[in-house]
Amino acid sequence: MGADHRLFLEATLPHLDAVYQVARQAAGGGQDPEDLVQETYLRAYAAFGSYRGGNARAWLAAICLNVARSQARRRRRRPWEVPGSGLLDVLPLSRADGGEGTVDVADLVIAGLDAEQVSRCLGRLPEPQRVCIVMVDVAGYTAREAAEALGCPRGTVLARVHRGRRRLAQLLAETGVAHGRP
Amino acid sequence: MDGRDRACRLLAGFLAGDLAPAEARQWDEHLLECEICWWAVREDRAGRQAVQVLRQPAPPGLADRVAFAVEVAAAGRTAALRCARPPARSSRRARSGGWLRWPQLAGAGAVAVAVLVTLMVVLLPDGHQARIMPPAVVAVADYAQAVPPPAGDQHPVSGGRAAPVEVGHPVTVTAGGQTIVLRTWRVGGTEAVVAVSSKPFPRPPQAQGVAGSGMAWSARLGRLSLYCLNGRTSELVAAPVRAADLAALAALLPLA
Repeated sequence: MGADHRLFLEATLPHLDAVYQVARQAAGGGQDPEDLVQETYLRAYAAFGSYRGGNARAWLAAICLNVARSQARRRRRRPWEVPGSGLLDVLPLSRADGGEGTVDVADLVIAGLDAEQVSRCLGRLPEPQRVCIVMVDVAGYTAREAAEALGCPRGTVLARVHRGRRRLAQLLAETGVAHGRP
Repeated sequence: MDGRDRACRLLAGFLAGDLAPAEARQWDEHLLECEICWWAVREDRAGRQAVQVLRQPAPPGLADRVAFAVEVAAAGRTAALRCARPPARSSRRARSGGWLRWPQLAGAGAVAVAVLVTLMVVLLPDGHQARIMPPAVVAVADYAQAVPPPAGDQHPVSGGRAAPVEVGHPVTVTAGGQTIVLRTWRVGGTEAVVAVSSKPFPRPPQAQGVAGSGMAWSARLGRLSLYCLNGRTSELVAAPVRAADLAALAALLPLA
């Protein structure tokens, strides 16, 4: 064994937590996030010879997303698919008494929302918005790193994050209304 | 880009702190007057806060598991390179027309076959390995091969996240002058044997060293994959899994 795998681990293991955050949200049904992380690192190691030494964190995220997509394709399932609870299926996407501006997001009790609810609502967002939110808000990537991983302009990432956050807040507020919150 | 899209991008840029000071000041003033944009900012903030509940630190053993998987892959790659690239001396022999003549070659072949048969019959009755194995390693491998497969469904290691369950009682054996304590663990549908000794487990001839892990080595023996970490207390894991899956399995076992 050469020294390259030690160099690889030195360069990539510090980013394990960020990759894990992406993997947890990117893993589709039947995928284990830890398996996805391991597969990401094995593929990255296989490609380490051609790695040009850019942003390792963004590089790993791009590989993780590709692995998740290809595994989901093999399973003939969509990646980032969050199994619905049935609750959101029966909820209207906007409040019956007005437009989106009438949802009182200021009263949204974040502490009262469990991760499963947030995850379900996140699963209802369009994939580009979902991916950007997970990378920037959950995994802590900068917009520039996310843009590098996703191959799109930084401004596009920012816009997707903004639209996604707003839609997520609306969906969560609707869930709160359904639970009797004002 | 329509007007709404442009406004969204400008607001996203404002929230990200991308705008020039003059532009940002304009947005500050605008937000005091515009209910729609003010609402958009509040929703942005609420959405950002909400997803924080999705953050979970990586499991403590994940880094070790990933590092081990990479080390195993690196060992496999090195082995493949060695197989693909014949030693330089062989090339010289081929170019020079061969150092050995046919009678010498036939004699050497007969001796090699005799040694091979002796080893297979005497040392390794199952005939899976044609190399001399250290007695301590053979003892662990024999014990692991004697472990009956668990009843019920078999699950691949990578799919099972179940906590390891110890099966039976620890067994102490002595082989090659070293005392070894053998414990059997069931993880998902796989039985793994963890051997612990105060002396290092000798490295078999076909084993690959695991770089960066001191005296660690990994090997394949019949249907078993072996991984050994020698140190003050030496541990040898033996399980009937693929070498690539041993990393995932070892990460779940209660190793020292």
